Amino acid sequence: MNKHTWLGKIYLWLVLILLYLPIGYLIFYSFSSGRNMNHFKQFTWLHYQTLFQDNRLLAIFLQTILLALLSGLIATAIGTTGAVMIDRLQQKRQQKVFLALNNVLMVSPDVIIGASFLIFFTALGIQLNFGSVLISHVAFSIPIVVLMVLPKLKEMDHTLVDAASDLGASPRQIFSRILIPAMMPGIAAGFFMALTYSLDDFAVTFFVTGNGFTTLSVEIYSRARQGIDLEINALSTIIFLFVLVLVFIYYLLTTRRFKKNGKIGGVIK
Amino acid sequence: MNIIELKHVTKRYDDGFVALHDINLALEPGKFYSLLGPSGSGKTTILRIIAGFTQPTAGEISFNGQDLTQTDAAKRPFNTVFQNYALFPHLNVFENVAFGLRLKQVKAKDVQAAVKAALHLVRLDHYDSREISALSGGQQQRVAIARAIVNQPQVLLLDESLSALDKRLRKEMQFELRAIQKKLGITFVFVTHDQEEALSMSDTIFVLNDGEVQQVGSPVDIYDEPVNDFVARFIGDSNILPGRMLGDFEVEFANRRFKCADAGMGMNEKVEIVLRPEDLTVVVPEQGKLVVRAQTQLFLGDHFEIKAVDTEQHEWLIRATNSVDLNEPLGLSFKPEDIHVMRLNESQAEFDARLEQYEGASEDEK
Repeated sequence: MNKHTWLGKIYLWLVLILLYLPIGYLIFYSFSSGRNMNHFKQFTWLHYQTLFQDNRLLAIFLQTILLALLSGLIATAIGTTGAVMIDRLQQKRQQKVFLALNNVLMVSPDVIIGASFLIFFTALGIQLNFGSVLISHVAFSIPIVVLMVLPKLKEMDHTLVDAASDLGASPRQIFSRILIPAMMPGIAAGFFMALTYSLDDFAVTFFVTGNGFTTLSVEIYSRARQGIDLEINALSTIIFLFVLVLVFIYYLLTTRRFKKNGKIGGVIK
Repeated sequence: MNIIELKHVTKRYDDGFVALHDINLALEPGKFYSLLGPSGSGKTTILRIIAGFTQPTAGEISFNGQDLTQTDAAKRPFNTVFQNYALFPHLNVFENVAFGLRLKQVKAKDVQAAVKAALHLVRLDHYDSREISALSGGQQQRVAIARAIVNQPQVLLLDESLSALDKRLRKEMQFELRAIQKKLGITFVFVTHDQEEALSMSDTIFVLNDGEVQQVGSPVDIYDEPVNDFVARFIGDSNILPGRMLGDFEVEFANRRFKCADAGMGMNEKVEIVLRPEDLTVVVPEQGKLVVRAQTQLFLGDHFEIKAVDTEQHEWLIRATNSVDLNEPLGLSFKPEDIHVMRLNESQAEFDARLEQYEGASEDEK
């Protein structure tokens, strides 16, 4: 029994170390004064200095974040409305069809989505720029938002809606005062997922991006083709820390909400 | 003037299931009504139609004479206490109770005062800042009542509102509900499957089965004069035997003749006899109107429940304060007015008409 938990722990740590090793390797060499990652020469902040002087890369970094936030917000709004509509469908079969169509988009490869968007945009004569990237990012983020929000609606007690309307709430007030709070954890999770999907994406963006606009992943890819610069390592380190902070904030938010709901006794004024 | 009237209300679902057949109800202001029936009898459907959550397939509902059938639930002057309370989990006690007032954009100061008063009425002072999840079932129940009555509805609708509570708390809430109703003086419509609950709280009970009203009356009327088999079995325990009328005020069952208090039926008409277990008195065999042998007895604290069989092999349920000897002959005694005669397939209207006719006649004789 004891031996088993001990083995299990070793297994878990081994997997975690293996997963984090490449990232650690990358971060480690971002402080090396050499020109490549063959061997560590000397500790230096040099790559970070060149990174912060590289205005083009910083601009792309900010653009990428702006794109993620914007597409995340739009996708969350559309996806949440969609989830409410699917939930309202009377027939179970219709619900299943919509959910299946939603899931097909979730699992279909990015390459196909990217290629089809490219065909779509060129067919309609839409210019490839920030707009085209934004539209496609919104599009592939919507299904994940739907998937995050819908369970919250399903587990919500639907007599709450009756109760609100019994107390005089109009459909709009029911939406804002009952449905939104009930969906909030799902909406938050959906927004964060949409954010990471957008930050992550390479394949779709690669297809639909044009001359004027590019994202970090596409930029790093094109730079890496000319040999990896340790400046990229420095940038990766910063992004990694940024994501770490995001995850920490998300963790704080969710645990605090949990504590609030789960508390027993409460404060008596 | 009736505060609520349902006229010829029918509810048929898309799959063809008919939940309500031609329901007619008239509710007077300031009274406590119960809709009593087993699950699937349509009692909750009636409540939902009154509240406006469900549209009837046919028929109309009116409030103080005005047609309400097309009015949205939000605009009806009724409030509901739901079976599972349906309290808003993201709001605390105060905000739950204040919900309706906030929608009406009542001034903050007035909201404060009204919520305090409502919480005081349900004996939940100082609970305003609690989270709903931190309340017990009984407390949640009270919050649900406070949330409904704070809007000063003309009618309060309660959907099996006590069924989730334990027995002791349920009894306590029965008294409290009745007290709140008396204090507010508004109409309560209470849906329940628990006959004891309905009998103890109501001014008038509607007994429902299979989407039809079986009987309407005061608790005493319904208990003492059930119009049919269903009502007799559903309200309390009863001994039901086949019998035959031998004329006015005389009936035959269990192969014997008895004097009874019913009349107005045909000679030799087949009827059913209801005798309540608590109306039967155990006496020595010589004095008994019937002789039975006890087979089992259960001690239930304040009384014994005895199952006995007569010479015709009819089973009898008897409630006695003292224990009896098993398998020994026992006499059973009862008064003529304890015998309740039910005609087969008699509707309540026919029953009432017959009752009026012979009760009038017997008064003339005096």
